[in-house]
Amino acid sequence: MNPQPRPLYWIGLSIFGLVIATYVLFPIFWLFLASFKTTGELASLPLTFWPVAPTIEAYTALFDTTSQSSQILNWPRLISNSFLVSVSSTLIVLVFGTLAGYAFSRIQFPGRDLILGGLLISRMFQGAALLLPTYRLMNNLGLQDSLLGLTLLYSAFGLPFATWIIASSLREIPFELEESAMMDGASRLQCMVKIVLPLATPALITAAMWHFVGAWSEFAFASILMESSDSKTVTIGLASFVELFTIEFNRVGAAASLVAMPIMLVFFFGQRYFTRGLLAGAVKG
Amino acid sequence: MGSVTLRNIRKSYGPVEVLHGIDLDVADGEFVVLVGPSGCGKSTLLRSLAGLETISAGDISIDDKVINGLEPKNRDIAMVFQNYALYPHMKVRENMAFSLKLNKVPKDEIESKVAKAAEILSLTAMLDRYPKQLSGGQRQRVAMGRAIVRDPKVFLFDEPLSNLDAKLRVQMRSEIKELHQRLGTTIVYVTHDQIEAMTMADKIVVMKDGHVEQIGAPLDLYDTPANLFVAGFIGSPSMNFMSCTAQGGKAVLSNGQVLGAAPAGLGEGQAFTAGVRPEHFVIGSGALDAPVTLVEPTGAEIQFTVDIAGDHVLITTRDRVTARLGDTLNLSVEPGKLHAFDPETGARLGGV
Ligand SMILES: Nc1ncnc2c1ncn2[C@@H]1O[C@H](COP(=O)(O)OP(=O)(O)OP(=O)(O)O)[C@@H](O)[C@H]1O
Ligand SMILES: [Mg+2]
Repeated sequence: MNPQPRPLYWIGLSIFGLVIATYVLFPIFWLFLASFKTTGELASLPLTFWPVAPTIEAYTALFDTTSQSSQILNWPRLISNSFLVSVSSTLIVLVFGTLAGYAFSRIQFPGRDLILGGLLISRMFQGAALLLPTYRLMNNLGLQDSLLGLTLLYSAFGLPFATWIIASSLREIPFELEESAMMDGASRLQCMVKIVLPLATPALITAAMWHFVGAWSEFAFASILMESSDSKTVTIGLASFVELFTIEFNRVGAAASLVAMPIMLVFFFGQRYFTRGLLAGAVKG
Repeated sequence: MGSVTLRNIRKSYGPVEVLHGIDLDVADGEFVVLVGPSGCGKSTLLRSLAGLETISAGDISIDDKVINGLEPKNRDIAMVFQNYALYPHMKVRENMAFSLKLNKVPKDEIESKVAKAAEILSLTAMLDRYPKQLSGGQRQRVAMGRAIVRDPKVFLFDEPLSNLDAKLRVQMRSEIKELHQRLGTTIVYVTHDQIEAMTMADKIVVMKDGHVEQIGAPLDLYDTPANLFVAGFIGSPSMNFMSCTAQGGKAVLSNGQVLGAAPAGLGEGQAFTAGVRPEHFVIGSGALDAPVTLVEPTGAEIQFTVDIAGDHVLITTRDRVTARLGDTLNLSVEPGKLHAFDPETGARLGGV
């Protein structure tokens, strides 16, 4: 019998969590509030916390294509670039991750478990060490400064982990279900579409969310590869924006809030699957 | 129509052969049970028939048409799996309709077929539930419903009752048998439970280590087992075995006592293994004296364990024999109920 957890313990833990959350989130929240203030209010002393006269001026300025700043940073363009790259690489990763994950979970071949584990290890080698070689590689392929190139790059980076998540969850779907479907008259493809994929939805959503968020917020590779202003993504935009408009915190706040929005939406709607899917992968595989 | 013929079926996993040439004829509408100890290849044989395993050699035919190379879906065979393999994301109705939908059966026809199957199986009230909302027995019935809506040539069952508790198992046993009588479809049924085999089968196939040991009607196997293995496997409690020698037409035990009349056809002085079922001893009228080492009344009958020439021998009787531990029972074997087997090969010797 488990002793009932003591309420004091939980209260203490919650307070501790709240303090940490406040500490982490406060600057972000302040920036979010700042996006609704005027430049004047931001410059005046004493500092205000809540906007005195809330305005969406900073947001409209971002989308004002006639303004001088939009010559340098075209936000609609940045956003659509980021969407294009994130969504299409997510689709690529899902399609290939599902096919590869299915093979890993259903076909017995030598070295299977080793390779599957290796997929996870490959995640450790990402980052700065790969910047230069990647840059050279993309240049040689003529894929620098190209949205297609960035999409392919993100797909390549995202595929191993997505495959691993999907394979781990497919392994838990008994093969007998597919055999039963085959006896019922299903082809291998119909088995996959009608039996396997519906049962793997949490894992697919998890993999998709994981990848989308990663691609959307990726900065380092985008910043070295994407040179022309037409091909930049939101994270590059945000970085240069901070350099260009340091004083105008309302605009920086507006841009940052916009960029964070899709990620928050993804987590808000996918949260349920996210935790479940990760747990499913965590126990076995 | 759905007659099945297996000719010299062999199956290897890599270098290991697990089926060593199986021959079997199943008549249309027959209920055949494959029975044998764990690992003897029952599932492998059944799955080969279903097309889920490829065989290494031999021919499988249905209605005299060889189907070796056919995909499972083209064999017109339905299978009920041990763990039911219901599609968890589909309601009972959808589970049962799945194959019909795949085969593009018109909607109203699907509906009427599912409704009919549900009625046969008393599942009508469950049609809109998901498998996880059903009990084990109900899941079992859905799995059968999924098979019968298809009206296939052959039903395959792989240990369909092994996940149920004892009481439900007995109930489902008779339900499956009734279903068979009602539908008249050929059934090949796998179990390692010989009682299930005895009660359900028209014909039993006893397997061991990838070989067929004997094929026959339940009572034929019981009355004339072809070898030691079948003799010991079929029947519960199982047959007693004792070493004997044939002397003057008698089966003489190693201590010189006479067990009974030896079957005809044994050579004088030939050593053999005598087999006697527990219920074939007659108590109180014989030349054989055996001390009682254990008494177990079960209600309907009493089981005595006695010592015969150093072997523990089980005897059951429906009479209220009052012998107690340490008493001596006076025994004989019912005429014609003493089986003889070759101690080396295990093969049956002589006539009965
Ligand atoms: N995929 C496989 N690879 C290698 N050997 C296998 C494979 N499947 C089964 N076998 C072997 O084949 C033999 C027969 O297995 P099978 O599953 O047919 O036995 P069974 O009679 O159904 O036993 P049980 O009553 O335990 O279900 C076993 O010795 C088993 O180890
Ligand atoms: Mg088996």
